[in-house]
Amino acid sequence: MTNFLQQIVSGLASGGIYGSLALAIVIIHRSTGVINFAQGEMATLSAFVCWTLLDHGWSFWPAFAATLILSFAGGVVIQQVLIRPLQGSPLLGVVILTIGLLIAINGLTTWIWGGAAKQFTGPFSTSPINVGGVAFSKQDIGVIAVSIIVVVLVGLLFTRTKLGLGLRAAAVNPVEARLVGVRVGAMLAVGWGLAAALGGVAGVMAAPSLFLEPNMMQTVLLYSFAAAVLGGMDSPVGAVVGGLVLGVLLNLAGTYIHWIGGELRLATALAVILGVLLLRPAGLFGHTAVRRV
Amino acid sequence: MTRNVCALVLAALVLAGAATATTSGTPGVSSSTITIGSSGPLTGEAAAAAGVLKGADAYFKYVNAKGGVNGRRIDFKYLDDAYDPAQTVQNVRPLIQQDNVFALFSVVGTNSNLAIRDFVNAAGVPQVFSAAGATTFGRDYAKYPWTIGYLPPYAEEGALYAKQILATNAKHAKIAVLYQSDEYGKDLLSGFRRGLGSKAHSLIVQTVGYDPTTSDVQSQVAQLKASGANTFMIFAFGKFAIQSFVYANKLGWKPQIYVNDVASASSIMALDPAKTAEGSISILWGKDPATPKFKGDAGVVLAGKIIKRYVPGGNPSDGFLVAGMAEAFSFVDALKAAGKDLTRKGLMTAVTHMNEANNPFLIPGVKVHTTPTFRFPISAVQLQRWHQGHWVPFGGVVSAKP
Amino acid sequence: MKLLRRRLDGADQRSAGAGFAGAGAGFRRKLGALGLAIVVLAVLPIPLSEFRTVQLATVGAYFIAILGLDVLTGHSGQISLGHGAFIAVGAYTTAILMANHGVQDLWTIPIAAGVAGGIGLIAGVPALRLSGLYLALATFGIAVAFPTILKKFDHFTGGSTGITLFGKPTQTGHGVGVLGMTNNEWLYALTWTIAVFCFIVVWWLLGSRFGRSLRAIRDSELAAAASGINRSAYKVAAFGLSAAFAGVAGALLAINIAYVSPDTFPIQLSLFLLVGAVVGFFGSIWGAVLGALLILFLPDLVGLIPHVNTKQAGPTTLFFGLVLVVLMLVLPLVLRAGAAIANRGYPRAQ
Repeated sequence: MTNFLQQIVSGLASGGIYGSLALAIVIIHRSTGVINFAQGEMATLSAFVCWTLLDHGWSFWPAFAATLILSFAGGVVIQQVLIRPLQGSPLLGVVILTIGLLIAINGLTTWIWGGAAKQFTGPFSTSPINVGGVAFSKQDIGVIAVSIIVVVLVGLLFTRTKLGLGLRAAAVNPVEARLVGVRVGAMLAVGWGLAAALGGVAGVMAAPSLFLEPNMMQTVLLYSFAAAVLGGMDSPVGAVVGGLVLGVLLNLAGTYIHWIGGELRLATALAVILGVLLLRPAGLFGHTAVRRV
Repeated sequence: MTRNVCALVLAALVLAGAATATTSGTPGVSSSTITIGSSGPLTGEAAAAAGVLKGADAYFKYVNAKGGVNGRRIDFKYLDDAYDPAQTVQNVRPLIQQDNVFALFSVVGTNSNLAIRDFVNAAGVPQVFSAAGATTFGRDYAKYPWTIGYLPPYAEEGALYAKQILATNAKHAKIAVLYQSDEYGKDLLSGFRRGLGSKAHSLIVQTVGYDPTTSDVQSQVAQLKASGANTFMIFAFGKFAIQSFVYANKLGWKPQIYVNDVASASSIMALDPAKTAEGSISILWGKDPATPKFKGDAGVVLAGKIIKRYVPGGNPSDGFLVAGMAEAFSFVDALKAAGKDLTRKGLMTAVTHMNEANNPFLIPGVKVHTTPTFRFPISAVQLQRWHQGHWVPFGGVVSAKP
Repeated sequence: MKLLRRRLDGADQRSAGAGFAGAGAGFRRKLGALGLAIVVLAVLPIPLSEFRTVQLATVGAYFIAILGLDVLTGHSGQISLGHGAFIAVGAYTTAILMANHGVQDLWTIPIAAGVAGGIGLIAGVPALRLSGLYLALATFGIAVAFPTILKKFDHFTGGSTGITLFGKPTQTGHGVGVLGMTNNEWLYALTWTIAVFCFIVVWWLLGSRFGRSLRAIRDSELAAAASGINRSAYKVAAFGLSAAFAGVAGALLAINIAYVSPDTFPIQLSLFLLVGAVVGFFGSIWGAVLGALLILFLPDLVGLIPHVNTKQAGPTTLFFGLVLVVLMLVLPLVLRAGAAIANRGYPRAQ
């Protein structure tokens, strides 16, 4: 029983990371229809930027804030320079472009920072807290809390602010949005910036626990895709809930289904993606079904 | 059957071809140079092990600056395979067919060495001092006469840990094992089980594998902790070893930890939380520059000088670099013994008649000793314990002979 | 209805006339080009070193895989980021048959094609239910997870140690050579003979009714359905065909390297194939050879840039990515300026 609860707590901590990255994927998908395959590598790049600032003697929270601002700017630049010229061309072309970006950013981080794993001291203590035999650390709580706080903030942004209204309008009906004075181009750029910053949160939260290296988010990306699909590709709340559910699911499957063990985690995530896409394309929280052809 | 005979005849022809080639001049050997090749993970998840190749390269440069071996400079060409054995095959092909290397030296990784072994032996190219610890490299010389390893066999390492547990805590040990689920991890695990003998079943309470492509081993460590174990075997690699310490710490688990040699470099251990790492046990055979005991030691001082001069940006306390120098030292010894009239056969004779007690990069008491029927160059090690941020060797040198 | 059909065919000849259907001056010119290519391929190994020869054999295997991707993505409009998995299926079919069942390597090639193709047909059915974006996502997942699945069934696949084929009696030429050719020349001849054969098959197929129907579906599902084309059957067939090609490529890679292991087929392989296919322009099978060359020789090209050390993996990977990004930015312009090779069936980016 203790092991069961322990696996759930550990799973939630991993799931918080999957959820944060899934949130970034969902933000871009719902505002532009694109699945950004480079999201994981962008998050790793953000984490490296933060690591470099920390290495230069910054303290954590200023470094974190600076990283998010830089990530936001990076996202805007990517949208303006690379994505905008492709407006009106097939969507699949944009997706392939993000795959190019995935490969390029991975090469860039490897080139600059090398392949060896780096220690990344996070803001939360890793010393254990023991409750009824189940151990966890402030780091675990911190990761889960941050992912929930972020999704609440995103929710407020979308529903309570004029910017959020513009973002939604630009996503749902760009032509009419333009007619009523929404600057659709700017909104799309903000969407990419927002997603890059959210990915930055995921990267910085993941680094203390996974150890920072260029391929850190490569497998996490697949888990995040699974989380996003599970939650419904257009639902921010779904992304975070999907991440947490997936984290727990993977841990329990690995622990109690001996055949899966530690070796088939990725395959389990793949099964989730395929199962949901084929059986319930809208996921747990999605509103619009995946377009069928 | 006839097919097998055909294959043998053909292989013999190849060997004969290689032999006749040597009379008109050995491949890779000119009057002024000896060209040798290698392949290893310069990038990717195992990139830390690239230190072995960089350290060896630096030592060869040092030897070259002092006049080389029998008047010949050593030209060491090593390529990146990112720990993918198929890439190793594709690296080794041009080394042999295009660069005409005299020998392959210190190819890194068990699977990589296994992947090229048939090809290299058919071509009659020496595959010497492989940086891999599978027992087969020393044992199966009848089938693979051109191959010899260097490291103490992983299986024996596992058996030594078992012996240590039986000697210190046979009654109360409850053992949990985390292992990388490939040949490397499974070798350690099987040696460990063999070492425990009949007690293996009662003492080991849980074993969990992980795939090296995964992102973390958090769930596995939690599972092992829940088994109620008080002894934790980490048969892992690189960042997964670090994660194991970190997660054990996060879970408030304080077992006696054993961590295998390849994962226990001081540079890796330094990243671990001090409280959890304290008291961990591993083995050593090469001098670790970060160990206080070897401060001022002639070999470590020399290694420091060579790193400073020939490894730009190299960390003088990187144990992988020194391990590479130890291998290179033995290789240079073998080249010297093979004589001025250098042939591939001569090199194989030399590496199977090693009796080297003066390798400055090995710990005192560890000798490089081989015979044509005993091909485990390093077959003795010492146990060491992590104490206040450093490894401290303890007990005497013990045998790791299979 | 007839009118619609004619319109589709007309558009088709303008867009991808690389078929037998467009017989005429263009066809004869292309046939000449093919003849010339075959002559060049035949004499190419003479001035080259042994190692370059075997590298070109690897290019041949990639070329076959990219041809398959071309049929799938360029002509039927379905994307696959998971073709590395089909290559792995082909390679393991060959390796297991050669190592454990005493099947001569040449015979394993059609079997590998059949096994991979069969799995491709099966995979093609659920793929029908996924639109482009989600198909990309699902196939990406398959490519990422497949090596771990190969490792799991280690009694069958040899686990992470893989399977060594060198010196196996089922190896034609026993790694020494065949018919007076060295082993590398033999691998080259074998691979490119099959590659040319595959090319002609694809060329013929795409020019036939099959190819026209595929493009009709790609360009407008609705119009294609209206003109009585069985969309599902064609799309599944395209998936199976392209998987079979990947299977052949895998078999040839296994024979070439004489070794297979799960780490030989990482997600990167699938992504690089996609880069190769994009370089070869979707829709034009003639460019596929360019893409295949790029996959193998980009590291050498990057090494030519001053101050770049290709002993590190970073720079090569970076340029791989940049090539793809730049191509995707330039391609729409080229397409807009030129003909109408566009995946009109997809929703547009905003």
